[in-house]
Amino acid sequence: MNKKIGVYICHCGGNISDYVDVEKVKESIETDEGVFLAKTTMFACGDANQKEMVDDIKKNELDGVVVASCSPKLHLLTFRAVTERAGLNKYNYVHANIREQASWAHSDDKPGATETAIHLVKAAIAKVRLAEPLYPFIINSKKAVAVIGGGIAGLRAAIELADMGCPVTIIEREHFVGGRVAQWDVLFTTNETGKEVVTKLYNEVIRHDNIKLLTGAEVISNTGSIGDFTMKIKVTPRYIKEKCNEGHLLKAIAVCPVDVPDEFNFNITGRKAIYHNFPSEYPQTPVIDIKNCTRCGECEKICPSVDFSQKEEILEINVGSVLMATGFDSYTPADGEFGYNQFENVITLPQFKRIIDLNDKKLIFRGKEINKIAYIYCVGSRQIDGENKYCSRYCCTSVIYAAMQAKHKFNEINNYHFNRGIRTYGKQEVLYAESLKGGDIYLQSYEDAPPTVEQHNDKITIRINDILTAKKEMSVEADLVVLVTGMVPRADNSVASLFKLPKGRDKFFNEIHMKLRPVETVIDGITICGACQGPKNIMESVNSALSAAIKSFSYVSKGELELEPIIAKIDKDLCTWSGTCAEACPFDAIKMVKDEKKDVAAINNSVCKGCGMCLPVCPSNAINLIAYSDNEIESMIDALAG
Amino acid sequence: MAAINPEFGKELKNYGAFDFNACYNCGNCTAVCSLSTEEDSFPREMVRFSVLGLEDDIRSSLKPWLCYYCGECSTHCPQEANPGELMMSLRRWLTTEYDWTKLSGLLYRSLPLTIIGFIIAAIGVLIFSALEKFNLQSIMHKGHIFEIIAIAAVFGFILLPNIIRMWWLIILKPKIKVPVIKYLTGFGDLIVHMFTQKRSLGCDDNQLRWFEHFIIVIGYLGLLFTTVFLDWFSNDSLFVIVLGYAMSIIIFIVTIDFMSDRIKKQKEMSKFSQPSDWMFVVWLFLMGLTAFIVRLFIDTGLIEKNIWLYLFHLTILVQWALIIVPFGKWTHFLYRSFAMYFAKIKS
Ligand SMILES: Cc1cc2nc3c(=O)[nH]c(=O)nc-3n(C[C@H](O)[C@H](O)[C@H](O)COP(=O)(O)OP(=O)(O)OC[C@H]3O[C@@H](n4cnc5c(N)ncnc54)[C@H](O)[C@@H]3O)c2cc1C
Ligand code: SF4
Ligand code: SF4
Repeated sequence: MNKKIGVYICHCGGNISDYVDVEKVKESIETDEGVFLAKTTMFACGDANQKEMVDDIKKNELDGVVVASCSPKLHLLTFRAVTERAGLNKYNYVHANIREQASWAHSDDKPGATETAIHLVKAAIAKVRLAEPLYPFIINSKKAVAVIGGGIAGLRAAIELADMGCPVTIIEREHFVGGRVAQWDVLFTTNETGKEVVTKLYNEVIRHDNIKLLTGAEVISNTGSIGDFTMKIKVTPRYIKEKCNEGHLLKAIAVCPVDVPDEFNFNITGRKAIYHNFPSEYPQTPVIDIKNCTRCGECEKICPSVDFSQKEEILEINVGSVLMATGFDSYTPADGEFGYNQFENVITLPQFKRIIDLNDKKLIFRGKEINKIAYIYCVGSRQIDGENKYCSRYCCTSVIYAAMQAKHKFNEINNYHFNRGIRTYGKQEVLYAESLKGGDIYLQSYEDAPPTVEQHNDKITIRINDILTAKKEMSVEADLVVLVTGMVPRADNSVASLFKLPKGRDKFFNEIHMKLRPVETVIDGITICGACQGPKNIMESVNSALSAAIKSFSYVSKGELELEPIIAKIDKDLCTWSGTCAEACPFDAIKMVKDEKKDVAAINNSVCKGCGMCLPVCPSNAINLIAYSDNEIESMIDALAG
Repeated sequence: MAAINPEFGKELKNYGAFDFNACYNCGNCTAVCSLSTEEDSFPREMVRFSVLGLEDDIRSSLKPWLCYYCGECSTHCPQEANPGELMMSLRRWLTTEYDWTKLSGLLYRSLPLTIIGFIIAAIGVLIFSALEKFNLQSIMHKGHIFEIIAIAAVFGFILLPNIIRMWWLIILKPKIKVPVIKYLTGFGDLIVHMFTQKRSLGCDDNQLRWFEHFIIVIGYLGLLFTTVFLDWFSNDSLFVIVLGYAMSIIIFIVTIDFMSDRIKKQKEMSKFSQPSDWMFVVWLFLMGLTAFIVRLFIDTGLIEKNIWLYLFHLTILVQWALIIVPFGKWTHFLYRSFAMYFAKIKS
């Protein structure tokens, strides 16, 4: 069938026509096969021209359109929309880029630029001749979202989804929710406590019919893709009945003979095998840590709520989208890094936060009162030699705030901040100013000459060549050294590999585009938010959680999804299943299936992104990319070479 | 290597500085200061030393004296850390450091002690007058002798040793080698600075203040000369009488302007007044005014009946000579001049 094609050649106000003779381009293509009309225009994207195009298409019943103008990144969608408005399938539109690829690239050679433009337009015409109308795939999408991680980001996202009427399952690995925030007492910049913030969220979570909260739960497998993820979840029991007598339980905790380091307090204290996290832990039922429990049975004798008969369960859930909010770990300094694990009174910021919380009136650590505290910034962040090149964002503010809190809560505290330039961005700057006014002392060095920590006879001395004092060598004797440790990805992030989630150079989960698509991942249907994506404070975590919630909801809200039709297509007759295509596919979209006795490759339409990686590796040339078939590409090459 | 001492900052607050800890070392103050140079850059460095409590570095520094408090730095400080006032406080602190008697430190730190000092001086004058049976002639005569002795004693026992201490702290202790010839050649600078404060002209928009300062120095030294060496109150030469009037008028008129600045608080330098600043201008004013009235009463024959007036003048004089001159703000005048001298011979 011969097409009626309309071609529009744009001046781009001079950006193109200053170098490319657009009239000549028009003349040399207007007699090409199928070209029904050819026009030049000052601004193809201008309203007037768009309207004219719509009228042309309707009046002349065009069935192919080419615009030769700027980069398709700028206006492909604009002109596709124009054809749609004129009642033409948008895949019958082909874009030729004669600005970046001709006029700008060859501004020193006008005839050459014109020549190139002519070829580019001819190639586009060749492609549009073969173009076929395409329609998006429609797939079912299960209206349900799984939120992995019940920290501040996960909880907030779950509530938002539930409020929009979407069933949500929160999968939290620990037995208590709230994530890191539950571990902090007062928080910058609102002065609320972690407990208050978590309590608010937890109360909303449990009142919501749409939310199912699983604690002690971990995803162990995943199959499926956008619209239809099926996951297996292993749920470890608490070994305590839900309704229990508090008095008995406290006694049971007291008699437990096991003593293990308490991770909630970053191992500065111990806990029993049967434990509470803190008085406001949620859910408010204690847990028996079965890995460390010796099954001595002492607790069972005292408290009838203890129930060793509870069993591990494997649940299966099916959701349309997955929202990742697995958070972060704090960097663990290497042995000897600023005296860590070498001198007793060298600790990390998270530990310090817990110590402030656990002490009253006097700040006591290892039996001694603490008065002079030195803080060493950027430990594990902004590394010169190490891998963590990034700034952890939260820590300057957090340590300044913690230092102020210590001064406020305990008597006679002197704070010394050994920093590399303070980054209390935004409103947090107010805290820095307040801390300075309160008499905290700030000393600064460059990354290549960090402060040193030494210990002689029980006394820890920190030395620095302070760049604010003309690099004069300064020293401070401190009772406690706090290493301001940054954020790193969770040590156990194996859940990511179940979903094939890509990680960035910083090893945190990676979004598609930092600015424009900040919560989507290249795995369709999976969104990320909170500190699993990179260092964030609570406000930033919640911001991203809310956008991820909306994005996830957009995948499932209608019950079905429209997917791009430009994907790979297998010619079953030619396919002999070599498996090379499946290996080449970065998205795991190709599986082997049985087709009338022989094995063939099958494309998962909802996973394929049309990247084309499988095409060249197929030994029997059985794969074509829709809209970029061999025919189309070859005809374009002919036009370009002709 | 220097140890950090945050206590010093607290100590400095007794001398006026209050929020210099807010400094975040942007350096704006140094950039806007028209007297700061590449070799002698301030005030940020002094703010930094004060925050860290590097007392030795401050003690051996002349920089506080290089500042004439135009206040541009304080106006431009984004943290409102008041670097100008910090420099002023460091000058106060330095005067107490130079003072071997340590009395000035006590007086700066404690207003009650200062007031007690003033009261004792007043009682002393009263007792002395009673012993003289309130005989005006002999009181005036001995008052004049007192002036001469007081000047010699204050200079010989307090100011000179303090200048020597200053020299020791700034030149000898840091082991700076200065050829003898330089001591001599730099002397001219000392005199010029003492009388003219020429350097303060380097401050932007400072011409009027410099001029006021200049004539008050002339007025003060002139009045000192007329009363002490020409014995104004007992001298009948018309020239001397008129000269004395002129000098005392200059003093009390200019000091009125200084006082009104401190009340209006519009200029940066007059925003924060310590008791020592007030005492200095008020007593200078009172000296000029009472000297003027005393001579007026002498000339109109009223003094015999108003002997209290002379006693009041004498009290002011004694307080000035025994407290403000050796231990108060007066010394700034001296130390600043010597600071210029030391800076010159060091370079
Ligand atoms: C010392 C310190 C002090 C801080 N103070 C403040 C402050 O005062 N103000 C402020 O705004 N911010 C503060 N922050 C930052 C704040 O802690 C983070 O912004 C916040 O915790 C991020 O929340 P999140 O939900 O993304 O991650 P997390 O809090 O880490 O929560 C993640 C949750 O996911 C769970 N999880 C992890 N992996 C899995 C898995 N595979 N399956 C299921 N569940 C999983 C975890 O158990 C956890 O409950 C501080 C941080 C530190 C280190
Ligand atoms: S926030 Fe501050 S302490 Fe943390 S990495 Fe960045 S600069 Fe260093
Ligand atoms: S302008 Fe203020 S904040 Fe900046 S260096 Fe000077 S005193 Fe410090």
